[in-house]
Amino acid sequence: MSTRLEQALEFSNYRTSLNNQQAQLRAKTQSLLSYSVNGGTFTIDTTLINFCKLLVDASKDTAILLDIYDNPVQVEVKPFYEEILSRYFEVTNDYYAEYEKLRKARKVHKVLDLNEKGE
Amino acid sequence: MKKENSRGIVMFAHNNAEIDYFKLAVINSLLIQKHLGISNITVVTDPHSYSYAVDSLGEDLIKSAINNLIVVEKDKEFKSQNIRVFKDTSHTAKQLPFYNINRCDAYDLSPYDETILLDVDYLILSDTLNQCWGHNEEIMMNWRYQDIMFDRKDYTLDRLNPFGITMYWATVVYFKKSAYTETFFNLVKHVKNNIAYYKDLYRWPGNLYRNDYSFSIAAHVMSGFVDKGIPQLPTTLYKTFDTDDIHKAIDEKTLIMYLEKPRSPGDFILTKWNGVDLHVMNKWAINRISEEMLDHVRNNL
Repeated sequence: MSTRLEQALEFSNYRTSLNNQQAQLRAKTQSLLSYSVNGGTFTIDTTLINFCKLLVDASKDTAILLDIYDNPVQVEVKPFYEEILSRYFEVTNDYYAEYEKLRKARKVHKVLDLNEKGE
Repeated sequence: MKKENSRGIVMFAHNNAEIDYFKLAVINSLLIQKHLGISNITVVTDPHSYSYAVDSLGEDLIKSAINNLIVVEKDKEFKSQNIRVFKDTSHTAKQLPFYNINRCDAYDLSPYDETILLDVDYLILSDTLNQCWGHNEEIMMNWRYQDIMFDRKDYTLDRLNPFGITMYWATVVYFKKSAYTETFFNLVKHVKNNIAYYKDLYRWPGNLYRNDYSFSIAAHVMSGFVDKGIPQLPTTLYKTFDTDDIHKAIDEKTLIMYLEKPRSPGDFILTKWNGVDLHVMNKWAINRISEEMLDHVRNNL
């Protein structure tokens, strides 16, 4: 292990590293839950999913949704709903797996998924 | 049938005595190809940076990374005047020329209908920017940013001065060719050509000319003197400081970073940054991992 890395690991506070790593995971999740279609951008969340399910159940083919800029965007309801639902589960499943791995890590190098040599 | 717009990336790479911006552009171009799946990449450079790159990297590597090179002459007077402190962590600081004057020409130089203008040190580690293509907005850039050491704040980056307009980051700019964006870039040029006046009017600190300032002023004017009038990109801009460092590139989308502790300069914590685009301010740090990053990208293309 390089001296620099040794020193950095020594200085590293486990809790600070863990908190920062969790924040990084949240940032990645947020970034992946952004979805652009038909010139608009949407944040995939449970509210959007529920509203789209309501539109699907009401047999709406197309609908105007407000995107993150509050601009109206026309979407085809069913494919849009299926896409956001699939993305939501894909992203949150990954988030869960990574989060659990982090939660069990008790040392800085494990938080970072490195071996003890820092490789 | 509607014709598909041409889409591409534009970067500017002008070396100074220490920093090989062209090499960073090559690495980022390969990352762009890998993560965004885009091969329309234009790099604007100068004869010296290009010939150095041919000698150090080889023409084959350059051609495999960049499919459109634009070679322009440098404004030597500006280069000698626009001096900035570059840091390679808190331990090393150097005063070097910061050649950024021609970024306002991006609109004229871009051969694409839709362009993403990028800093060479904004490493593309995901496909998030693909969300920009075909967007309803004609121009988008970020004022919202996030340091990747999440509890570290630098409020001087929020505004041009403590009572001034919001600062936009010219690090990533999406634009479509249109009359509106042409006017926007003309306005950026106008600010660049009248630096003393606009520096006084908008009271930006120091003597350094930064594109962040001229783009922010143009955004303010173009929005009818309304703050934050130009929409944000669909992604947050994540950044590091030049006091941070990179330990290694694990793969083509994962970096292990040293982040300097805010209240303890020279001390670091480690973090793993994975799958999110990142503005790496320490240019030497990118250069140090450039070979391993090149290997990762070439092996996985």
